Amino acid sequence: MFERIPEQIRRLAIVFVIVIGGTVVLRYFVLPPSLFETRLHRESTIQREVAKQVKFAGTTVCGGCHEDTATVKRKGFHKNLSCESCHGPAAMHTEDPMTVKPFAPRKRKFCPLCHEYDPSRPTGFPQINVTIHNPLKPCITCHNPHHPEPPTVPRECSACHAGIARTKAVSHHALIACTTCHRASRKHKVSPRRVKPTKPDTREFCGKCHREGSKRKDAPKIDLSTHGERYLCWECHYPHMPGVA
Amino acid sequence: MSPESFHTLYKLLGSVSGFIYPNELEIRWSILIVVYPYVTGLVAGAFILASLVKVFNVKDVQPVYRLSLLTALAFLLVAPLPLQAHLGRPERAYEIFLTPNLSSAMAMFGFVYAWYLMGVLLLEMWFEYRRDLVVWSREEKFPMSWIYWILSLFSRDVSERAVKFDMKAVRTITIIGIPSAFLLHGYVGFIFGSVKANPWWSSVLMPIVFLMSAIVSGIALVIVLYMVLIPLKGGKIDMKCLDTLTSYLFYAVIVDFSLEALDFIHRLYESEESIQILGVLIADKLMISLVVIQILLGMLIPAGILVAVKSMKFDPELRKLLYFVSAILIQIGIFSTRWNVVIGGQLFSKSFRGLTTYKMEMMGVEGLLVALVFLILPFIILGVLVKIFPPWKASELGEAKTS
Repeated sequence: MFERIPEQIRRLAIVFVIVIGGTVVLRYFVLPPSLFETRLHRESTIQREVAKQVKFAGTTVCGGCHEDTATVKRKGFHKNLSCESCHGPAAMHTEDPMTVKPFAPRKRKFCPLCHEYDPSRPTGFPQINVTIHNPLKPCITCHNPHHPEPPTVPRECSACHAGIARTKAVSHHALIACTTCHRASRKHKVSPRRVKPTKPDTREFCGKCHREGSKRKDAPKIDLSTHGERYLCWECHYPHMPGVA
Repeated sequence: MSPESFHTLYKLLGSVSGFIYPNELEIRWSILIVVYPYVTGLVAGAFILASLVKVFNVKDVQPVYRLSLLTALAFLLVAPLPLQAHLGRPERAYEIFLTPNLSSAMAMFGFVYAWYLMGVLLLEMWFEYRRDLVVWSREEKFPMSWIYWILSLFSRDVSERAVKFDMKAVRTITIIGIPSAFLLHGYVGFIFGSVKANPWWSSVLMPIVFLMSAIVSGIALVIVLYMVLIPLKGGKIDMKCLDTLTSYLFYAVIVDFSLEALDFIHRLYESEESIQILGVLIADKLMISLVVIQILLGMLIPAGILVAVKSMKFDPELRKLLYFVSAILIQIGIFSTRWNVVIGGQLFSKSFRGLTTYKMEMMGVEGLLVALVFLILPFIILGVLVKIFPPWKASELGEAKTS
């Protein structure tokens, strides 16, 4: 019977038996079970993590001693930011406050990590252009990091809305000031997300320049009664780059 | 994130246009992930070419049968390396075998690869070379005689019955091998095609487009290797074989082009919400690599050359030159195809409102140099394989010489 199997198959079968047998032996007899058991795997992971030195103390512990700063910070825009986000891990400091001092970022390069202008940051998030925003001065000379508020109200909308300003600057509306269409109270400049500026809420607003018979000669004209009907103009036309629907 | 990488990424911000999400700035699947489907494509293509001889009995391409197998093996050995380098921790790679995850297509790669290497390619090569290994183990001097003897698994039987069985086994394995080769490269296409969040990738045609482009690149590579190796070995190129090979190459290019055009037209007609950003992607970021290199240089020009050669009676030397040029162009085109899929798919934001830029590293693990090493390494392995397992017998080279 064995003789009837071609020689090649017999030889290959031996190789396959060795490979498969070797794998089985390796799997069940040589390698430690922790490699396969996910439970053991997780346990050993937890042990490994627990064995690591604790480096962060947590905001609550910081507030225990630095009560004044914690009270100020609780009321400001940085209230949700952990102390150690800026000051670095401080567990050692809590154990030996006199000899181990936590890091205090004072240089200008630190704050732009979050506040440099970046188009992907949410609208209204305070952002600056590092190159032109008070060059060379450390941020903390003007801003208190525990209660950050602009020391002076931004003069231009573009201080925060740089993307829109750049778009508008090359559009037909370049010469129209932001305040022509938006009314922003002083509070918006301090709490941009709590107090929002207004937007035109009637069709007649755009109609002042764009309706037929308007005195404005260079603006394209439409018949307000038939064009767009129940929609506001800016629901179809992007006012910062009109012409792009 | 280290300050260095922050600064590198910060520089990229300047080349971002429109709106992108913060985690889309950096491209995660680098040039190594371009090399991976390219190399596996060559494996599948070369193997399918080899199967033409055994399954479909195309006698004209017999001279490249063994070369195709060796090419497939050389590239298959390198195929997982880009993934290893990209993922890091190669010492843990075996874990995909130990803890199989049946619901993850990526985690099944190990099994697809192992099946193709162990179950198909090595077996077929062993049966194909067994008789020769026995003969060489008798003819060659130590230590090669021993190496051949071990490789033949200590076989001594070269009787007609045994050789007949070898041939039957090769044919059977090839028949299993074709769907396996389809599986190997179709799988790579499936990985991309099944990413439903990415409109550039998500398409059921993806596996089949990958497969066809794999066949194109595999045949083109074997043509180039054949035209380089035969003169080096002192033989003469078999023009009949070359003509048939280029005919198959031409058909494969046409099918590949039609499928890609179908995919494109289908997307255009469907005009889903992503079509606008894909249009901008092609116009802004992929103009050179897609329109110029992939379509014009990699498909239209070589297809045009092949049509011209087939329809006009050029003399053999000019034909050889034109075949060589078109095979090289096709190779560049297919690499560009992989680039456009892998890199192109990551250049636009999932918000469909912005584009980012890929800044290739030079020296790092994910850099250009490492990618070049992975592209050159298979040729070195192939050189060694050709030395150990000569794809042509002296008589074959001699015959060609006299004919």
